[in-house]
Amino acid sequence: MEMVCIACPNGCRLNIEKNEDGTLLVTGNKCPKGIVFANEEILAPKRSVCTTVRTTYKKLPVVPVRTDGEIPKEKIFDFVEETKKIVLDRPYAFQESVIENLFGLGINVVCSVDMNRLVGE
Amino acid sequence: MYDVVVIGGGPSGLAAAVEAKKEGASVLIIEREAMLGGILKQCIHDGFGLIRFGKKLSGPEYAELYIKEVKDLEIETRLQTFVTSIKKSQEGFEIIVTSSKGMSTIVAKTIILSTGCRERTARQVFIHGTRPVGVYTAGTAQNFVNHMGYLPVKKCVILGSGDIGLIMARRLTLEGAKVLGVYEIKCTPSGLTRNIHQCLKDFDIPLYLSYTVTRVFGEPRLTGIEVAEVDQFMRVKPGTEKYIECDGLILSVGLIPENELAETIGVKIDPKTKGPEVNEKMMTSVEGVFSCGNALHVHDLVDYVSEGSATAGKNAAKYVGTKENEANVSSEGMLSLVPQRITEGEHEIIFYFRTLCDRKKATLTITVNGNEENKIVKKYTNLLPPEMERVKLKLNVKGGDKVHFKLEGE
Amino acid sequence: MFLDKIAKKLLKAGLFDIEVGFENGSVVLRGELDSWEDIVNAGRLAVDTKNSRGVINDIKLKGFEEPPMKMPLLNDDKYEGKKVDVLVIGGGIVGCSILRELSKWNLTSLLVDKEYDVAVNQSSRNDGEIHPGIDLSPDCIKVKYNCRGNRMYPKLSEELGFTLKRTGQYVLYTKPIGSLVWPIIKARAKKNEIAIENVSQKELKKRQPNVSDEIHGATYYPNVYVVSPYEVTIAFAENAVTNGAEIALSTAVIGMEHKDGKIYSVKTNRGTIYPEVVVNAAGVYSDRIAEMAGDRFFTIHPRKGEEMILDKKASALMDTVMGRFDISSSASHTKGGGILITADNNLLLGPNAVETPLREDLSTTPEGIDMVIKKQQTLMPRISKGSIITYFAGVRASTYEEQFVIERSKKVDNFVQAAGIQSPGITAAPAIAEDITKYCIEAIGKNISKNEKFNPIRKPIPKVRELSTEERDKLIKENPDYGVIICRCEEISKGEIIDALNSPLKVPTIDGIKRRVRAGMGRCQGGFCSPQIVKIIADHEGISIDQVAKKQQGSEILVAKNKGE
Repeated sequence: MEMVCIACPNGCRLNIEKNEDGTLLVTGNKCPKGIVFANEEILAPKRSVCTTVRTTYKKLPVVPVRTDGEIPKEKIFDFVEETKKIVLDRPYAFQESVIENLFGLGINVVCSVDMNRLVGE
Repeated sequence: MYDVVVIGGGPSGLAAAVEAKKEGASVLIIEREAMLGGILKQCIHDGFGLIRFGKKLSGPEYAELYIKEVKDLEIETRLQTFVTSIKKSQEGFEIIVTSSKGMSTIVAKTIILSTGCRERTARQVFIHGTRPVGVYTAGTAQNFVNHMGYLPVKKCVILGSGDIGLIMARRLTLEGAKVLGVYEIKCTPSGLTRNIHQCLKDFDIPLYLSYTVTRVFGEPRLTGIEVAEVDQFMRVKPGTEKYIECDGLILSVGLIPENELAETIGVKIDPKTKGPEVNEKMMTSVEGVFSCGNALHVHDLVDYVSEGSATAGKNAAKYVGTKENEANVSSEGMLSLVPQRITEGEHEIIFYFRTLCDRKKATLTITVNGNEENKIVKKYTNLLPPEMERVKLKLNVKGGDKVHFKLEGE
Repeated sequence: MFLDKIAKKLLKAGLFDIEVGFENGSVVLRGELDSWEDIVNAGRLAVDTKNSRGVINDIKLKGFEEPPMKMPLLNDDKYEGKKVDVLVIGGGIVGCSILRELSKWNLTSLLVDKEYDVAVNQSSRNDGEIHPGIDLSPDCIKVKYNCRGNRMYPKLSEELGFTLKRTGQYVLYTKPIGSLVWPIIKARAKKNEIAIENVSQKELKKRQPNVSDEIHGATYYPNVYVVSPYEVTIAFAENAVTNGAEIALSTAVIGMEHKDGKIYSVKTNRGTIYPEVVVNAAGVYSDRIAEMAGDRFFTIHPRKGEEMILDKKASALMDTVMGRFDISSSASHTKGGGILITADNNLLLGPNAVETPLREDLSTTPEGIDMVIKKQQTLMPRISKGSIITYFAGVRASTYEEQFVIERSKKVDNFVQAAGIQSPGITAAPAIAEDITKYCIEAIGKNISKNEKFNPIRKPIPKVRELSTEERDKLIKENPDYGVIICRCEEISKGEIIDALNSPLKVPTIDGIKRRVRAGMGRCQGGFCSPQIVKIIADHEGISIDQVAKKQQGSEILVAKNKGE
């Protein structure tokens, strides 16, 4: 089968075949990330997700957040639902966790901006 | 008096300023918005920085790292300051700016124009019909959603498969809007392949190639649009028109480098890139004026913006004012090629180019004055016009030499 | 007798089964036809200005039902029971200049318009040329008002602070007929004291180097100006309001009640108003208003025109007004229009002319735009489609007589009409306003004194981009907001936007701001500044950002919070 690796902007077109032992033979990748991606994408696809959460600051009604790693693809909308519950009422630091250990996945949700700088300026 | 004045505090201007300062120059950044970071502030998706920082960052994070460096290097900035005009003067340039403090004149030895780009609008792609609310460029919609926290549409169609359009298809879907489809007039997508996958396929958003929007309906709010299939010459095929009910039309139909300021001081514009013609130092046709980032040519990766802009910053800082002899660079089989000139001597130069058409396998041949013996040959696979290529070459040229880039293959 | 003649003409033109009658001093046509073109043609053939007041063309288009007038969403009783001396219906340039003229007298006046702002239709959808008054038959009422209006503009510009650019106009010869037509033009010009100059091909090339080599010379009219037609309309409206007149926007007239041969009351979506005199300045709906008032003797046949604006970079091509000499252009239904430098320094091309049964069809078409640009390229080949930044359409309120209707009704005592106004309506408006005001005062029938407190001066919003560095600096020191640029393409400051929000006729919407200060009118078409302007409006008006609209109620920009919260 074919797929496009989304691990980096190269967007390598991967060709995937099954070896006799059940492992995957990946070709078309420019780097080892492609092999990892292909295996994950077939077994359990994962994505990092970015969205916004609300704050109590008028100047900054929403701030961007992202998962600091990849979460299972089917959890994307659960994660979005989760962010609805959050309202930041203090200036979070750059890359400070807004949600820790999301769904017990060992992934944190971090603030993409330095709120102090943005609220202060 | 500054050695280097950087106009525009987006990713390009920040990288140029940092590099110029590191070279020991006195540097000022002029930014018209209230905060540094430019358009990256609203590009909250990740994928930035893999090349530059070796990690996957969101736009605001990528900007934050540069802003921190600007602060640490104590680079002067003037925010919410707008350049109204530039004049050549004895020392270099006089830049007239306006801000809440009044009008002032800034004197600069060199100028770096990192003024970014703007989006092509609905009228510029000749969409007809009524003029309802609900038609936005992708960047404007991105601002509403990512900065203001509001959706400008509930059920929309996206015209154009440029990267911002694809990114917005995903963003709008995540935020609760319905994206009915992405329609692209060309027979191939305009955005990066990975964005087709992670922004459209992941969310089952259909992509219609060789389609365009012919008409919009509704007053005062958009109630629907008409789409139609186009032939290979992008002409509407009669009888293929179809009505789609929606309250939003988001456009991602191209970016145009902003060079209105550059043109007022006589900077020569390359019709292919719509940005200034530069040499490998990123200096334009006007001595002491440098250009970088999306004002120079539209990039698809910010990492390359930073790289090219750093080159501009470094060379602006080193600029001493002696005119150098230059070789001219020409191309065939390419949509664009930067730089367009090379100064005399032997240097290692990074060229950025886009292929004119899709090429599964391609050969790039570089010759100087048509000399076949010393030609440089590079091989490529899977070249696509939306994906900018970067190539580092060692060249030794004399003033007046003709350097030719030929890209071929299918 | 003359009705028979008309009936014969109709038959000759192949227009069968049309009943030709005579009512209210007018020719009345009834029947049904298959094409709108035929209906318009029938109306034209029925014109007999000697024997009738006008043409009432009630021929129906087969299978077509005219859509109802677009109404504002608003419904309240703000004006219920309101008594005024003069009620002006229609907030275009005609209505607003009348309102200002009325405010020079001690009487109460109210202007109503169904739109969210003044100058929303014809008055903002034209090129803003202050015409010389030549391309019309020299004795008609249009020329009379055109020439009078033209001479009024320099003083009005000083008083009201709107931009008036003396551009002159070149009427170009596409064939070598200059020496042939010159004596005719000269005679026409002399009659109405219009300054003219014969320009040879060589001289023209010297003055306007980008004109096509195919052009054989031109007639030049030095007393041609350009204005921003909506800026002028807003200026009239603001000055009227400052002098005590009232303007009710989003207020549509939906009926009238009569008593003793007079209009007794006027019903709107915002209550019933009791005026002494009613003025009809309702543009494309002026025949409907005339019917409500009980004195319809003309018909509006809407004529759409499409125009386009080029990027300011294209303005290097020329700085004047150019049109094509057309021997048949004594009538005003122009086709393809001309090229003009606007008051704001963009080139404007157009308009074309398309007859339509739809009074409010403001949509544009690819055919229209292509036709206009191709036509103008024959005058100036370097004009390119690529430099178009926007385009729009407007609908002219043409009568079959192609004449203005300016009179105090002979039938309804307290009804005054300024109807059927199309090109050159912008030029003529101030002169029309003088006469209409006179008719209003006659109709009131009481002794009305002059308003001694009338202040003709309107202080315009400063245009910071046009000031010298010193003036601009001084202004910013007084108010720092003038130094904060919001619209980068047109260089519009936050101070100007806030001035618009504090103006005598404020319209706190994106387009209301755009029409007052030009924010969003540049090459990015508001892509960068509209989010900021939404915030400025919300902050200033104390409303939430999702209440900020583009135009009228119902056109709010933001439709939901993220994630539907």
